[in-house]
Amino acid sequence: MKKLIAGIAGLVAGALVSIVVFADFNGNKTTNQADTATNAQKVYVPFGQKDEYYLFASGGHSGQMFIYGVPSMRHIRTIPVFSRDSATGYGWDKHSKKMMGEYNWGDLHHPALSETGGDYDGKYLFATDVGNNRAAVMDLKTFTVKDILEVPNTGGPHCAAFVTENTEYMFLPTRFAVPFGHGYAALDEFQTKYKGVMSAVTFDESKQKLKVAYQVALPPWSFDLSDAGKKISKDWAVMTTYNTEMATTEMEINASQKDRDYIVLFNWKELEKMVAAGQYDTVNGMKMIDPAKHKGAIYLVPTAKSPHGVDVTPDGTRFIASGKLAPAMTVFSFDKAFQAIKDKKFAGEQRGIPVLDYESVMEREVNPENALGPLHTQFDNKGFAYTTMFISSEIVKWNIKTGETVDRVPVQYSPGHAAAAEGDTVSPDGKYIIALNKIAKDTYLSVGPSHPESMQLIDLSGKKMEIIQSAPVDPEPHYAQIVKADKIKPIVVYDKDEKRPDSVWTQKDTSIVRKGNVVEVHGVALRSKFIFDGKAKRKDVISVKEGDKVVIHLTNIDLDQDITHGFGINSYDLNMEIQPGQTQTIEFTADKAGTYPLYCTNFCSALHQEMSGYLLVEPKG
Amino acid sequence: MSNSLSISSVISLCLASILLIASIFFPWWGMRFFAPQYPEGLDIIVYPYKMTGDIDIVNGLNHYIGMKGFGEDNFPELKYLPYLIGGLALLTLVTALLRQKSVLYGLIGLFVIGGALGIYDIYRWLRNYGTKLDPRAPIKVDPFIPPILGENKLANFVTESYFTYGSFILGAAFLCTLFPLWRDRKK
Repeated sequence: MKKLIAGIAGLVAGALVSIVVFADFNGNKTTNQADTATNAQKVYVPFGQKDEYYLFASGGHSGQMFIYGVPSMRHIRTIPVFSRDSATGYGWDKHSKKMMGEYNWGDLHHPALSETGGDYDGKYLFATDVGNNRAAVMDLKTFTVKDILEVPNTGGPHCAAFVTENTEYMFLPTRFAVPFGHGYAALDEFQTKYKGVMSAVTFDESKQKLKVAYQVALPPWSFDLSDAGKKISKDWAVMTTYNTEMATTEMEINASQKDRDYIVLFNWKELEKMVAAGQYDTVNGMKMIDPAKHKGAIYLVPTAKSPHGVDVTPDGTRFIASGKLAPAMTVFSFDKAFQAIKDKKFAGEQRGIPVLDYESVMEREVNPENALGPLHTQFDNKGFAYTTMFISSEIVKWNIKTGETVDRVPVQYSPGHAAAAEGDTVSPDGKYIIALNKIAKDTYLSVGPSHPESMQLIDLSGKKMEIIQSAPVDPEPHYAQIVKADKIKPIVVYDKDEKRPDSVWTQKDTSIVRKGNVVEVHGVALRSKFIFDGKAKRKDVISVKEGDKVVIHLTNIDLDQDITHGFGINSYDLNMEIQPGQTQTIEFTADKAGTYPLYCTNFCSALHQEMSGYLLVEPKG
Repeated sequence: MSNSLSISSVISLCLASILLIASIFFPWWGMRFFAPQYPEGLDIIVYPYKMTGDIDIVNGLNHYIGMKGFGEDNFPELKYLPYLIGGLALLTLVTALLRQKSVLYGLIGLFVIGGALGIYDIYRWLRNYGTKLDPRAPIKVDPFIPPILGENKLANFVTESYFTYGSFILGAAFLCTLFPLWRDRKK
């Protein structure tokens, strides 16, 4: 017995010693150098070569759009959309100032590339502003915003923009219910006075203008994400709802009470017919369809609690809801939905809108073990879906047809959306997916309490998903789209369009003309000087009187790649950029008398430092 | 008939005439400018009647060393050169019709003189541009004469001058005018 005890004691002691000596309490796994080198090669793009894809990542409450290259994950450019940007003068030059109107910021949520036949055509990018109810269109020939539209009657178009198969419409459902025209109404009247208005916006390519075609007065619920149908479902679109409880306070509790919320399934072709048939009311100048009065276009599909994303499969046969609070993805069939509508398999109505029988539309509930907080789904070209799990911080790959989980990869940390290479089109590429993580925590060098977000590039080409790159990004991408680089065909310099209003192209055509108290300058910028009046003694000086309105049109006549000129007026709080071949206008009132240097703010040439002049504002006599 | 040209010589002269006219529509001479910032190169391409290429960009850069701007307005030759070539083509055709060797000698003489004058003209312009630099230019460089053919280095630029298609066609035309000398040589 003693021997036994001694033996056991000896073994225990030996085990303890070995643990103390050999165990690794740091939890650091040794990184496999060979794998690291392989991954590095996959993302390295040497000088002279370019990335295979563009990544358009929304900039969230920065109001901007971030352009990255994939797979290098290099940040290429930030494009201002809903917020001012002093670097480019966006919000200062006449055109962008007019587009910005009275607003200074925006909350750019979801970007949407224009589509032809359900595929990205690389022509335009649309975006919505939850902060101030706007929609914008960016021309991808110049990567500049062409129009911004303020949409009345809504409270934060969240899940827009999503475009129909041939960019016929972009839909903007509202996140917050508000009374028509943001009028005053007590919250006790929420169920009668408040509306969840969805807007159908069209884009006129020749005029480069956005317009609200019509609106739909949906119940005062919150609308979250959405997607347009494809192929057999191309006339349809889907969007998720939450707060069908119609709670008006303590939303995190009160909007999470029901086990089922809805997916709104609507036929935009039918809505179009209703508008053509005059079946609408006019509300604040908008054509407003009341779905309780005009039936046949909108249906509700019950789905698991507070869903976030709803995504249509590349073949257009199914739509997948991500449960968020119910840890499951639900696969619905468009064919079954169409049949249920035909057979009138309704389970009652909600505020006049027919509710389809859940079992008649649902194909399968997918519930990977311990996968929590499914938010959003993207696709590859092999029949797999990739769903982000916010709470369990991973991406789950699963088979659309069988629901079987194929692979899972942890991401750092808490992904909101993911963007796969052309992953929401009719033909995804299946090469990459990028996790748009909401929390970066300790991933990068610390810059204090305000952290960047994190984007992780995941290689989908192998059997296992593999994270091959990680890049910090400014707050905060909500959604992104990845498009093949050769689809985008930007211009290098603006055309020398001599008929363009207010452009001048030679030094002798420059002029400063006074009409009453308006001084209008037609000048040129070229390496390395400004010429405002080629006939004047000092060609680079603008002299005005205190109180004058000053209008300066500047044309950059250096038609050479990347020879951008800036135009800043010292202590007058003004700056803009003029790209090669571009004409830009800045207007201001010279309300401060005195002497103000003006200079080129964008380094242009060896004599950039000398590219300056003066604004002289003569005091009132 | 020893002074008269054979049929094949006449054809050769007609061909020379056609080639001369054709050469007007091709670039004769060019210069490429390379710099660290312009690895793809900037071009000046000279036709008998026009200049094309990145002239505005080259001029914009050249003003830093005080060089005058290149441009069609500065080259009056471009206005009458096509007519001179047309005239020479006509004389070639006339030579073919007259079928006189003595006239042909005159034509060849004209060709040689014209060619020499042309080359001298290009040289004159290059010397003019490279040596008459504005003394007030921000960047001072020593006067220089870019070569008519070949490479030159100046500041961050390497220039490469070359003759091209139009000149080659012109050369072919000249060979066509020489052909009768061999074809109808005294045996």
